[in-house]
Amino acid sequence: MKILIIEDETGLRESIEEYFTEAGNICEAANNYQDAMGKINLYRYDCILLDITLPGGNGMSILKSLKENNYPDGVLIISAKNSLDDRLDGLNLGADDYLVKPFHLSELKARVTAIIRRKTFNGSNLLIFNEINIDLLAKEVKIGKSPVKLTRKEYALLLYFIANKGKVVSKNAIAEHLWGDGIDMADNFDFIYSHIKNIRKKLMEAGCNDYIQAAYGMGYKFTET
Amino acid sequence: MKLLTKYNRVNLITTLIVMLITGILYYQAISWVLTRQKDKDLKVEEQEVFEYVIRNHHLPETFETNDQQITFSEAKPGSVKRKFINTMYFKKWDKDDARKRHGSKLGGKYEPGRGLITSVSVGDKYYRILIVESKVETEDLISIIFSITAGVTLLLLLVLQVTNHLLLNRLWQPFYGIMKELRLFNIADTKEIPKTDTTIDEFKELNQAVLTMTVKAKNDYKDLKIFTENASHELLTPIAVINSKLDTLIQTENFSGQQSKLLNDLYGAVSRLNRLNQSLLLLVKIENSLLHDQHQINLVVLISEMLVQFEEIFQDKKLKLIYSLDNKEVYASRYLIEILLNNLISNAIRHNHPAGEIVIMLTAESLTIKNTGENEPLPVEKIFTRFHKSSGSEGSGLGLTISRQICENFGFTLDYQFQSPFHLFVVRF
Repeated sequence: MKILIIEDETGLRESIEEYFTEAGNICEAANNYQDAMGKINLYRYDCILLDITLPGGNGMSILKSLKENNYPDGVLIISAKNSLDDRLDGLNLGADDYLVKPFHLSELKARVTAIIRRKTFNGSNLLIFNEINIDLLAKEVKIGKSPVKLTRKEYALLLYFIANKGKVVSKNAIAEHLWGDGIDMADNFDFIYSHIKNIRKKLMEAGCNDYIQAAYGMGYKFTET
Repeated sequence: MKLLTKYNRVNLITTLIVMLITGILYYQAISWVLTRQKDKDLKVEEQEVFEYVIRNHHLPETFETNDQQITFSEAKPGSVKRKFINTMYFKKWDKDDARKRHGSKLGGKYEPGRGLITSVSVGDKYYRILIVESKVETEDLISIIFSITAGVTLLLLLVLQVTNHLLLNRLWQPFYGIMKELRLFNIADTKEIPKTDTTIDEFKELNQAVLTMTVKAKNDYKDLKIFTENASHELLTPIAVINSKLDTLIQTENFSGQQSKLLNDLYGAVSRLNRLNQSLLLLVKIENSLLHDQHQINLVVLISEMLVQFEEIFQDKKLKLIYSLDNKEVYASRYLIEILLNNLISNAIRHNHPAGEIVIMLTAESLTIKNTGENEPLPVEKIFTRFHKSSGSEGSGLGLTISRQICENFGFTLDYQFQSPFHLFVVRF
């Protein structure tokens, strides 16, 4: 997939680029309004990560220009402004999602994957990873042919892992993804451990390989093999 | 004591004392003048008697005119000393006086009188003369004059009191107006203290001073808020960078146990920093009333959803959850109500002990969230202040401050009670 990162903060931009660059992915970056406009008028991307406050202009104008030209690129707004009005403005203008800074790269990856999945697999709602078959519409998981009953959170977690396959995902990121950042339980992440234990057990009982590995006590990694 | 009451009291006491003194002086003066008048009459009478004696060489007939009696009596020569006296005057009833018919033995009555004792020699005889005049008319006159004067003075005093009361009340009106405005003054409010309409310089000055002070306080407060907001906003980007760098860092493999512990601690700290920052921003927003998305919210649905969210955590901590939810809707911002519920339930979980209990009760009047925990009450006056934390808490110290702000924002109240072994947080709608 081809991704354009429009973000003026060098540190953040580089991290995102690094996290997204992997086999089969192309990442491009723009750090100001003019560069970004130049790029979106020349090339098409699967997903554009768009910061709102940019040197030289407002990210919202870039979004407007995209929509006026009917470009099909998916747009995910990454903004430091966590106000409902901004969020609604962005979504009304046609952005696919809105993520508030600061965020975990794994969360960003999951969101981008979801956007691209919606854009590219038009109509199809099957996500296949090795022996894992996921019906995204019915929210059903099968290992080969045998169905696995997952709770809502376990299902969300599985999707999250698959989107971030091959990456170490921190416990904080998992907690925030599943319980939202309002949960404020940073002092106690033990419940994530028991949660992961359950999902692993369910998947392996259905004949799935053990993809989920603990990573140095910091988080978990969904291995690709 | 009100200024008016105090003023009136002092005023009344001084006036009464002055009036009393004036009254006494006045009475004495009139009395003196009128007595002098009587004495003059008596002297004229004495003179008449003397002239009569000189002319006729015998005593005049003792006659009695209205209000005047003259009596002669023989005395030792030279024994009578001329002097004026206060004495009694015997007044006979008039024939048609009603009292006579009631059979009074006296046939008259004693009245105050003024007398002159003098003497006259007729031939070789020496007589003592007593001329008595009734003073009743004089006394009447004095009392009439005195009553009228006193009456007028009292009336004047009364009128003054009433006018003072009305006038002062009116005069002080701008003051009370300013006081009322000051009492209603809220630094976080956009409403300004209105200019009071008055022609009195003192109140104008007071009003002006109050206006200047409140405007300054508001500006300072606004500056502080803007500073907090800007600072928090500026912090977001570096936090985002740290967060993303950490996420990138953990992708590089092969960490030792020590390194992963360090990384974990870093994650924890950044997460707390972020939460703290978000809380500050949120607090500023609530105080600025920047969150307007108000809807009718069904609390039962919202709380049920939230309890599902917390399910795993309840299980993990082996907490027993008891709840009873009556139907209740509030008109508020969904975003803020979610934060409120989240804060209160998170607290009930965080400060609980394993296998503890959480009770959630929603009625039409209130929402009560109670939990077991440390078996001693929390300091009520402190827990709602910013950055107050119980020892060992990993929270931001802003959760309850935000919760209370949210409640105030929608006209609810949030209170804490301790009913052993439960800590209660009650939201009253």
